[in-house]
Amino acid sequence: MSEYQNIFTRVQIRGPLHAGPPVTGSIFQREGKPFYSYLMGIIGNAQVGPLYLGSLGVASLISGFIAIEIIGLNMWASVGWNPILFIRDLPWLALEPPAPAYGLRIPPLNQGGWWLMAGFFLTAAMVLWFFRMYRRARQLGLGTHMAWAWGAAIWLYFVLGFLRPLLMGSWGEAPPFGIFPHLDWTVSFSLRYGNLYYDPFHMLSIVFLYGSVLLFAMHAATILAVSRFGGEKEVEQSVDRGTASERAALFWRWTMGFNATMESIHRWAWWFAVLTPLTGGIGILLTGTVTDNWFLWAVKHGVAPHYAPIFSHAVDPATLQGGKP
Amino acid sequence: MAMLTFEKKYRVPGGTLLGGDLFDYWVGPFYVGFFGITAAFFSILGTALIIYGASQGTTWNIWQINIVPPDVSYGLGFAPMAKGGLWQVITICALGAFVSWALREVEISRKLGIGLHVPFAFSFAIFAYFSLEVIRPILMGAWGVAFPYGIMSHLDWVSNTGYQYLNFEYNPAHMIAVTLFFTTTFALALHGSLVLSALNPAQGEEVKTAEHEDTFFRDFIGYSIGTLGIHRLGLFLALAAVFFSAVCIIISGPFWTAGWPEWWSWWLNMPIWSGVH
Amino acid sequence: MRTALSGVALLGAFAISLVAVLTFTRPPINIVATGNPGTGMQLNYVPKQVAAALAINHAPAALPPIDAGPPASTVYKNVQVLGNVSSGAFTRLMVSMTNWVAPQQGCNYCHVAGNFASDSKYTKVIARRMLQMTIAVNTKYTNHVGNVGVTCYTCHRGAPLPSQVWFTGITPGSGAGLLETNMGKNLPALAINNSSLPSDPFTPFLLNHEKIRDQGTTALPSGNTQSIKQTDWTYALMMHYSQALGVNCAFCHNSQAFSDWSESTPQRLTAFYAEAMLRDLNANYMVPLTSIFPANQRGPTGDVAKINCATCHQGVYKPLFGAAMAAQFPPLLGVGATATAAATPMVMPSTMPMSSSSTTDGAKP
Repeated sequence: MSEYQNIFTRVQIRGPLHAGPPVTGSIFQREGKPFYSYLMGIIGNAQVGPLYLGSLGVASLISGFIAIEIIGLNMWASVGWNPILFIRDLPWLALEPPAPAYGLRIPPLNQGGWWLMAGFFLTAAMVLWFFRMYRRARQLGLGTHMAWAWGAAIWLYFVLGFLRPLLMGSWGEAPPFGIFPHLDWTVSFSLRYGNLYYDPFHMLSIVFLYGSVLLFAMHAATILAVSRFGGEKEVEQSVDRGTASERAALFWRWTMGFNATMESIHRWAWWFAVLTPLTGGIGILLTGTVTDNWFLWAVKHGVAPHYAPIFSHAVDPATLQGGKP
Repeated sequence: MAMLTFEKKYRVPGGTLLGGDLFDYWVGPFYVGFFGITAAFFSILGTALIIYGASQGTTWNIWQINIVPPDVSYGLGFAPMAKGGLWQVITICALGAFVSWALREVEISRKLGIGLHVPFAFSFAIFAYFSLEVIRPILMGAWGVAFPYGIMSHLDWVSNTGYQYLNFEYNPAHMIAVTLFFTTTFALALHGSLVLSALNPAQGEEVKTAEHEDTFFRDFIGYSIGTLGIHRLGLFLALAAVFFSAVCIIISGPFWTAGWPEWWSWWLNMPIWSGVH
Repeated sequence: MRTALSGVALLGAFAISLVAVLTFTRPPINIVATGNPGTGMQLNYVPKQVAAALAINHAPAALPPIDAGPPASTVYKNVQVLGNVSSGAFTRLMVSMTNWVAPQQGCNYCHVAGNFASDSKYTKVIARRMLQMTIAVNTKYTNHVGNVGVTCYTCHRGAPLPSQVWFTGITPGSGAGLLETNMGKNLPALAINNSSLPSDPFTPFLLNHEKIRDQGTTALPSGNTQSIKQTDWTYALMMHYSQALGVNCAFCHNSQAFSDWSESTPQRLTAFYAEAMLRDLNANYMVPLTSIFPANQRGPTGDVAKINCATCHQGVYKPLFGAAMAAQFPPLLGVGATATAAATPMVMPSTMPMSSSSTTDGAKP
């Protein structure tokens, strides 16, 4: 049954390893000797490697490494360099942005200076990675779609860590680097700005996030379903339609009255995925800068539902005479 | 006729699960089948009941319309129509429509001679809905813990249900689910981009092949999962995201009632740390 | 390869199952709805845990009431607070206090044997102040304690030192090294549900009077400068409220609009009045006693043990599940207390510098 549904590769073929078109115009070459991996071969290609780093890749990895080191060493210092506590408390640890009192000034290193530096190097790593993707695509004669999609992710990160704090006039508005602490930050963010569920761009971002997962499930399931007709050869099927793409198209046409094509489904995919961080970033950017309380904003525009009051005649006790503590 | 140029030769009888040839026909582009009839029945009835419920409410504002489950005092019993009974019938209609839709997808897959991956995948979405509206309420002993039908009211339910556990983001299954949601979206962007970049190369370049796609990814991260593998991976990620979403809400309440941050105490209290400080 | 893979998968599944079985509770559960149907406003309880809490949190049997004899001040020497209480009721209360606070140690925990009037034991000086505090809570803060009131037992539970107290934590941003340390957050903190939020939300809100409210009152910006970091502190305080009372956010709030009073439950009002009460108790009753306490009963920075919600509530929405214990001891409700005793601030030579300049924004002072 499982091979019939094509979930795993049952028989793995071993032929000559694929080298790829030669690298031109760079002093760097592909790294590592490619090899076969049985584990990888179960679900995908068995070949692992080679890897091309290039100058941009090396620069990006160094920047990323510096950022991780800054974050990790500060975390370790915060538990007094105790290695066991470092492991035990790791999910709780964080590198914290400067206090709001510092505004947009450069704080001392141990008061958020390291946070600024980690943010800089992480951003540098991401931007260098963008150029690496762009250049690699161009050198292999491919389109640059992936670099631009990555740009959408950079946008979200840039809004959270730089643009919004800049507009708010305080580095302290940005999230900390830490596992649980960044989750606390998201909840505090929503609490401070009156319920982020009422932010329309947050709604859109969630729609695109869930939509992306839905689309990938639909698309991947369709392709696997028609893989017995060679449906996974999407480029070939796009330029020269075969029975796989015809059946895939008809499945959705008969199910919901509409179908994408073998190429256009990837455009749907690209836009849904890209719009997730794009709209999310807009939603974050507007919060606190142009709105202060999303719930009240929704009340103003007739969006928020009303429930029967559960504490009728309730007034803020702080406004009562003698009530102010 | 809304038929694609190649469509006629695929429109053959057979492949039905139920009803034989009786419902084996198309309406416009839609395939009907026995389960098309039941899907239409449940969805039209359910939608009509939602509209009726809205008419009994206080507003026609699309954002504010709210059809609520029974109060928790009704437990797992039936409630009067105006007090959550409507919600109960709509839930039955929704499940009827979703299951019909999945079975209709099975029939269409069989007719086209393709795998059953799509209805299998859709069953995970039904499972998630079933978890929220049926499994968890049964485990907690009241339909009243299920989410209401309203665009904004269901968000308020999500919010309040999250704050029942002080900070829902500390829920381990929620962490896994969110990670999978983001990873799936990330993988979708990578896959969509790669295919589009092969199909739409730079000006004057020829369309590239899977060999170029593989080379790009090997250069990029040292591994290319391949054209078939990416769809296996994508389907796995997407279904795992939905599955862990269902898990994260089923455990919240039936199997954990305190704050989720507190749950992590087991990690801090493991004997392997003893002697540290 | 294949067997190794299965082995790893089996081991992982076993570990996950073990954690799940050991850490999770099981249905059935009890639900208490606190808001409209379908809003998700509810409290969830495991019956077994409620039964365990009920077993611990009950009031001890009260001694038979006595209210006879001349005023205590005419019988005993150095009775500063309960002078007008009948000597019968006075003795009853003294015996009860011993049972509540020092059952093992007995009268001599506070009194010098043979000279009960002597103030030479520090515990007696503190006990007198605590008596004044109890009367103050029961008379000035009925908006929080209602007619349930508090007794010594509410906090002490048979121990000389209440188990649920707090000390001021490290000052955020006080790390002196090159790297970022001492941020006052980002470490597991038991008092705030083991989240990584600020671990001492008590100093700014329950001793000092920092602003607790963070949400703006207008849709668009109109001058609310509360930061996300400040919200972290409020959130931490609310984590403590929830944990101390064994409730969740829905006990007081509809999370649709946390700050909206008409969407909140009446319990929020009760909690609101506790804030002023706790600031009063900590600043006017506990802090002035700092130098009286021996060093080993003080916190790491030399500060006195202070009060938060957990001190009385101990994980229950009403201390001792609302047992109206204080009503059985009229002197604790201020009956017979000398008029000035409860209100007078304690006058004493202060040798301890009172430094508590923590700010909620995590900045250096």
